[in-house]
Amino acid sequence: MRNRHIIPLLLVLLGLVGVAASTARRPPVQAGATTRAVTAAKAFLATLDDAKRAKANLELNVKTRTIWSNLPTGTTLQSGATERNGLKLGDMTPDQVKAALALVGSTLSQAGFRKAMAIVDADQVLETNSAPTRAPAARIRFGRAEYYVAILGSPSETEPWMLQFGGHHLAINVTLAGRQNVLTPTHTGTQPASYTVDGRIVRPLGGENDKAFALLNALSAEQQKQAILGYDVRNLVLGPGTDGKVIQPEGVRASGFSPAQRTMLVDLAREWVGIVSDETAAAKMKEIEANLSDTYFAWAGATTNGKGAYFRIQGPTVLIEYAPQGQGDNNVDHIHTIYRDPTNDYAAKAAAR
Amino acid sequence: MNAVKRVTAGGILLLLPMTASLSAHRLDEYLQAARLSLARDQITLELDVTPGANIAGRAVALVDRNADGRISPLEAEAYGRLVVGGIHLDVDGRDVPLALSHVEAPSIPEMNDGLGSVRMVAVGSLREPVSAGHHQVYFRNDHRPESAAYLVNALVPANREIAIVGQRRDGQQREIRIDYIVRPGWPVRVAWIVLGLSGLLGLVLVRRVTPARPRARQAHARL
Repeated sequence: MRNRHIIPLLLVLLGLVGVAASTARRPPVQAGATTRAVTAAKAFLATLDDAKRAKANLELNVKTRTIWSNLPTGTTLQSGATERNGLKLGDMTPDQVKAALALVGSTLSQAGFRKAMAIVDADQVLETNSAPTRAPAARIRFGRAEYYVAILGSPSETEPWMLQFGGHHLAINVTLAGRQNVLTPTHTGTQPASYTVDGRIVRPLGGENDKAFALLNALSAEQQKQAILGYDVRNLVLGPGTDGKVIQPEGVRASGFSPAQRTMLVDLAREWVGIVSDETAAAKMKEIEANLSDTYFAWAGATTNGKGAYFRIQGPTVLIEYAPQGQGDNNVDHIHTIYRDPTNDYAAKAAAR
Repeated sequence: MNAVKRVTAGGILLLLPMTASLSAHRLDEYLQAARLSLARDQITLELDVTPGANIAGRAVALVDRNADGRISPLEAEAYGRLVVGGIHLDVDGRDVPLALSHVEAPSIPEMNDGLGSVRMVAVGSLREPVSAGHHQVYFRNDHRPESAAYLVNALVPANREIAIVGQRRDGQQREIRIDYIVRPGWPVRVAWIVLGLSGLLGLVLVRRVTPARPRARQAHARL
């Protein structure tokens, strides 16, 4: 081979390596999840008349995407003139409800969908029990009918759009941007924390609670000393309305965790990450595991399961908080949680590209 | 879609509560959640104040001073000044007065329901930017301590020259001490690099200019 061919050949090879490397950095293909969601979104919109479609399908922008909350319906929220985006289940026909829930289910895993609906059912319990004693003039309402479904933007396999499913103690925000399906920010919560359906006990956030206590009690005394904050944490630090904030990490760093402790931490985080469709969650879990050495676990409150405790998982691409809301002995029956990605809420990375 | 069908079907089953509690949110707490942003020349405080439903009447009376059933911008501002006036902030022991820069109030019905937060931002400007080295911020919230529940956190500094190395709070989170380090800015670092390289260059030049004496002759001379 003559010398003059070597430089062009090297440039071609370099180009090929560059293309391969840039492709490798992308998350695994999630076109399947997006395709399912687009199909379900179009099917849902097709069940609506013009007036309902105008309510359910709104523009996606920096204002509309931030309208979500932990609060019950019936009061005007500060973040906008409307209390929530979209159309509520109580204003839909049975076929429309079916299509709406099919849309929600298309973006979530089966376990994630069950969790979301268990939260909705918990709120129905709250409504059933509060309605008889409620003042006639009271505006606040609980229950299944008060959950909203909104499509922000135009359902597309290439352009960004968003699905919101929310009501009291639930704000599922899935931003779909081509290959990316991003679940953050998402709020889950529950009251009551435990109820029975047909004789079966349901604990919507029971896995989160039990796995966290198990992890804390699997830590050594020295690790616990670092994890336990030593002060009360009475609420979420970065709950609804605090988009874009990143707090200084605290607690014990997982770099010193044993393989078993790491597995427990990852399994705990999966309770939130795994709400979204399986293929999307798998990519996110891989990212969280890659950053595990730079991830912190913090704790405040009781160390025995059955009593209330706040905890937080914070890494470069994840923030999870779990905060009991009750007071005194009854502080385990009302839970708020938040799941964020400080680098990619609302699929910010896709928007940046 | 199996999950959809299963849960929808489950939804029509009888739901029985395990508890009689119906309180949706904290009722008698005056939650004050503070976040602090550190910069070389200022400290920014973001504070969200949320009175619980049982004490909302007292909070509303503080905000809606003319009791006309709505919170005017002037009333919101006056309330913000009242709250911020109860906060002590210092850097390295030197007081940093806070100036309210933004306040956003909810509707009175929201506050009465215990669901409304008054959100405010206040800025404390330092007399001069802190120098490179160790520093400490001290924050204490003395606004309405009788029924307050506090949160206070430092945000990750936007300026990479600032690194937080410790946060110490009391048990209630009413006060916090934030220890942080300010690294030298890039002009200082560049100056040090230039100085170091100059020294190195100087050494090389000196070695080249100075004639090397044979080691054997030196050894001989010592004998």
